[in-house]
Amino acid sequence: MTAVAERGRRVRETSPVLAFLGRRMLGALGAILVASLVIFLGTVVLPGDAASVVLGRNGTPQQVAALNHRLHLDKPAGTEYADWMSGLAHGDFGDSAVGLAQGETHAPVWPLISGPLKNSLILALVTALFMIPLSLFLGVLAAVNAGRPADHVISLGTLTGIALPEFVIGSLLVGVFFVGLNWLPPVALVPPGANPLDDPQKLVLPVMTLLLASLASGVRMVRAGMIEVLGTEYVQTARLNGLPERRVLYRYAMRNALAPSIQVLAQNLQWLIGGIIITESVFAYPGLGTTLVTAVGNRDVTVVRDIALLIAVAYILINLVADLIVMLLVPKLREPA
Amino acid sequence: MSDSRNDRPPTTPLDAMFDQRLSRQTLFRGAAGAMLGMSPLLAAACGGGSTSSTAQTSAGQPKRGGVLRVSFASAGTAETLSPLIAVTPIDQARVQSLYDPLIITNPDFSTSPGLALEWNPNSDATVWEIKLRSGVTFHNGKDFTADDVIYSIQQMSKPSSYALPFVSGINAKDIKKVDKLTLQVPLKSPDSDLPSNFAQYNTWIFQNGETDFKHPVGTGPFMYESFTPGQQSVFKRNPNYWQSPKPYADQLKIVGITDNGARLNALLSGQIDAMGMLPTAQAKAHQSTGDIVVLTGKSPQPIMFYMDVTKPPFNNNDVRTAMKLIVDRPAMIEGALNGFGSVGNDIVGKGLPFYDTSLPQRVQDIEQAKSLLKKAGQENLTVELQTSEIIPGFVESATLLAQQAKAAGVTINLKQVPANSYYNPSLLYLKMSFAETQWAITGMKFFYLQALSKDSPYNETHWNVPSFDSLLSKAIGELDKTKAQDYWNQIQTIQYNEGGYIDWVAADWVDGLSTKVKGITPSGAGALGNMAFMDAWLA
Repeated sequence: MTAVAERGRRVRETSPVLAFLGRRMLGALGAILVASLVIFLGTVVLPGDAASVVLGRNGTPQQVAALNHRLHLDKPAGTEYADWMSGLAHGDFGDSAVGLAQGETHAPVWPLISGPLKNSLILALVTALFMIPLSLFLGVLAAVNAGRPADHVISLGTLTGIALPEFVIGSLLVGVFFVGLNWLPPVALVPPGANPLDDPQKLVLPVMTLLLASLASGVRMVRAGMIEVLGTEYVQTARLNGLPERRVLYRYAMRNALAPSIQVLAQNLQWLIGGIIITESVFAYPGLGTTLVTAVGNRDVTVVRDIALLIAVAYILINLVADLIVMLLVPKLREPA
Repeated sequence: MSDSRNDRPPTTPLDAMFDQRLSRQTLFRGAAGAMLGMSPLLAAACGGGSTSSTAQTSAGQPKRGGVLRVSFASAGTAETLSPLIAVTPIDQARVQSLYDPLIITNPDFSTSPGLALEWNPNSDATVWEIKLRSGVTFHNGKDFTADDVIYSIQQMSKPSSYALPFVSGINAKDIKKVDKLTLQVPLKSPDSDLPSNFAQYNTWIFQNGETDFKHPVGTGPFMYESFTPGQQSVFKRNPNYWQSPKPYADQLKIVGITDNGARLNALLSGQIDAMGMLPTAQAKAHQSTGDIVVLTGKSPQPIMFYMDVTKPPFNNNDVRTAMKLIVDRPAMIEGALNGFGSVGNDIVGKGLPFYDTSLPQRVQDIEQAKSLLKKAGQENLTVELQTSEIIPGFVESATLLAQQAKAAGVTINLKQVPANSYYNPSLLYLKMSFAETQWAITGMKFFYLQALSKDSPYNETHWNVPSFDSLLSKAIGELDKTKAQDYWNQIQTIQYNEGGYIDWVAADWVDGLSTKVKGITPSGAGALGNMAFMDAWLA
């Protein structure tokens, strides 16, 4: 084949993985833009504003309007949205509306949220580190013992966890491990600037709460996938060939059961990002959820928008990574169409 | 209106989603029982079983040292160290630690000299000369002088300051410095009790020239070290404090924990030493367990219903009186506040100077209520009562009132509205004809000026009686205490008979302390002994 034809062939046969990545990233950008619009519109329709919050009882409609005007918080929505987006493109998260209303000339949002963001990420990561292996292990265990007591215990246990609201789980855990046994602290107060991992004891109950609240879906997906795969001929063949059971399970069977489970695990991770608000509040953990909720109460729209968008971006990125992993796991998806 | 609607406890974070911070007063209390109250209830239920007193004894000699950790509900990024815009309990705790007042309010509402030693009015109480305390220094070593007080008052007089209601009667631009420690304050109208204007924390004194309060400097018992709004502040002991040997603790940490359950758990586990605003159900549960000390401060704090006296059916005084007679006050205190309060008599200010104790205590009288309603042609009256979770006790008391009213043939339809609109003047506040309110009161004068006179900014009952206004001015301007008491009695009698307020309780301040904390005496003037951290020591 001539050199030209050779190059042409390479160009035509772009790796499907790269093509996939390219398409998905474009899609992700689009999703982020749509999310930003929805978030922005959401804060626009919120009744009340930072100015009336700060002025309080003294906030006659005229005074509120005057303060809003002074703070440039009454720009037309389109301008405000454009300013916000262009600021973000430069890494500028904007000024806190409450800070400005209190009379500060600059009230950058990033220092207000970077600490809580870090704390929430650490909590989410630690939880994920346990959740993924636990989901896999328990799912396999349940599948292998399908119909037998071990399966029932696992299924029932995880179902109970997911059925109970997090604050109930959190309270029960506090009741057992603090009030009852006095083994663990009931609140996870982390001083500002400190690393949550410095005192890992504080993280145990919040992580346990998050795990109990979320394990069921992953476990059940893995279990279902495994049961299906374990019934196939090729697993039978592997067994008949004398391969050790552990190898059969984890090297051969699980790989094929994983694809749908990845999606569920990804959903769990997404839930961790946005859904830890309640757990954070029950354990007084200074994370992003608490910051977001007080910002909503204070009508600090800049902070609300920034945090909401960060969460949305995390969601979208996790989706992207999950799809990529599935594609890598399932060779069929990698074949050119 | 600090002396009025501040010191509201915060709601849970989820409630905060629907709250608007009124005057940055996001009273984040509320649905503790509903959503996130389970953990404390569980912790409470599993507590020990011994008895203990609820009063905090200060037996023993104060010990120096240690870190005092106090927690209130967080107000997020709106928390501040400036007295001018401080509004939530956690702000108050910080302000009262960093700065000093001109006049100190004692637990029994008597006063002691603070930064001001003498207050001398002229013959008609229109000009006051204030002599200041000498030898006081700011945290940065500068001397405290009249310049600092003059500057502070001028800043308080700005429209954006929450201290404005207290200094609006002062001609701020005409304040004269007589000497280094003396100033002359001219008033727009006579005020026989100018000192009382400077008790509340929005009027505490800061340094001449202070603008951004980022590294605030005060004369108070604790000095600024660090502050992360929404999380915690760290202050250290002021070794040169003029109320030596106080403070006793080496460091004061004020931590924000919004969830009531989490805050109590932090106290129970020893991660904090004191918490302000313990919800009454939890307080009751812990009073007999001995694991923490429940501190109760008797206070005039009214939680009350109000009626718009200008709109039917409440424009008829017989209907108003009937409503006042429907309330079974002790039952309401028990049901809504778990017993933490004393019976109110519809006039505000129980326990304060000039309160009229001679007016007969109203009790439930359904028969009389029915006959008054009949006389007014309002038998089988149906009204709508708007309530909100913004203050603990509001929804409970509204529900109880609706039940109690049935006996008199009155149907009260409850409408629960979002907390963010309840005190928002742009939304619902001052537009509701039958609703609830709560005030933090340290002096009757301020309540009447802010709620019941012609220019009142918070005239909830839409009260507008010119003869009442002139009585009020006379009472406020009268230097002779006997004559003043007479005027105040007349004012209160009018309110008692014709006013739109149904004040069923003087609610207690209820807080929680670790058994290690000594020295805090309950005060009617504010939570945790009116933020008496300089008195506290760790055993």
